[in-house]
Amino acid sequence: MKTAAALLVLLFGGLLVYASLEFPAWGDPMAPASRHVSPHYIERSLAETSVPNIVTAVLADYRGYDTMFETIVIFTAGVACLFLLRIFGRRSSESRLYRHLPTGITLRISRGGAVPLSSKEFERIDLQWVPYSVVVRTTCRLIVPFSQLFALYVIAHGHHSPGGGFQGGVILGASIILFAIANNLRASLAWFSEKLAVLLCGLGVSIYVATGALSFLLGGNFLDYGTLSKPFAMGAVAARSLGILMVEIGVGITVMAVMVHLYYGLASAGRHDEGL
Amino acid sequence: MDLMAIVLLCGGLFFFTGGAIGILRFPDFYSRLHPAGKLDTAGQLLALSAVALIILDDLSREHLLTAAKIGLIVVFVYLTSPTATHAIVDAGVRAGLRPWEKRPAGETTDDDLG
Repeated sequence: MKTAAALLVLLFGGLLVYASLEFPAWGDPMAPASRHVSPHYIERSLAETSVPNIVTAVLADYRGYDTMFETIVIFTAGVACLFLLRIFGRRSSESRLYRHLPTGITLRISRGGAVPLSSKEFERIDLQWVPYSVVVRTTCRLIVPFSQLFALYVIAHGHHSPGGGFQGGVILGASIILFAIANNLRASLAWFSEKLAVLLCGLGVSIYVATGALSFLLGGNFLDYGTLSKPFAMGAVAARSLGILMVEIGVGITVMAVMVHLYYGLASAGRHDEGL
Repeated sequence: MDLMAIVLLCGGLFFFTGGAIGILRFPDFYSRLHPAGKLDTAGQLLALSAVALIILDDLSREHLLTAAKIGLIVVFVYLTSPTATHAIVDAGVRAGLRPWEKRPAGETTDDDLG
């Protein structure tokens, strides 16, 4: 089996190298890419998509398929990490610590014992992990709203300045990780649960694909945002700009959810029970 | 204005250089974090204020906005960089890393690895 796998890898690697030998030389002015593709993007992208940032126009419009599958790669990686990192069904195997708030007494409840979950007088304490110092927690709490606002700006302003769905999604995910650091994993899970993270992973990809399918249903090609002009009552050029924004939002949601879920898995060694 | 910007920029470079030398030359984890946290924060404050001053030399609405953005960067780095250093030191203490102590040359013990 291993030899077969190695042979397959060698075969496809060899094919890749063989195919890349046919490429035009690096920076060749007579290559098709530099003869008509790049000049078209540079000269016409603003007129065709009303997006001043050429990178965004190429990424989300002209090369929409490419970016769609990039997003699907991120989604797949997130799902793979879910199965690699997550440990299911070992919740009650360890004892837990609770502090009785009015008296300050700490209780250790061993395996199978009754857990005072319903009572507000008990506060769960982590066994293996001590919360961060007040300096780190306060700064994280201060930074969270600003970084979230900045993330939304990066996603929405990706048309005009460097940025877009991938970058904004990472910043948004980082802000939720900062929230988890400022409090702890359980507070973060109560606010942004694992189920929500996994759902948002899929939702982002679905938004991207649905945008493509919508333009398909409206009579254009898949991911041809120009056809969105009919339902949104705007010009075809503005509709392409709108389509880019919708797609970027989808990318941002997926990237954010994957980052948060990865963090949950790594911070709690897959248990999602206690941790940072 | 230009002179002020040059002086600030040189000051920033001085702190950055000091920070880089400190990171390279100090003996252990904690003492290396000291220049990384302090000098870099001071250096970015001076260097970015110099950049803001250079932009404000030609006063207009857009330049004012850019300078305000640079000011925000300074504020946030000023908040987060020392906190990050603090968190890293905290992690070192939790992992059981011992601070460096001066010993006669050539003498090593098992404690060197923490």
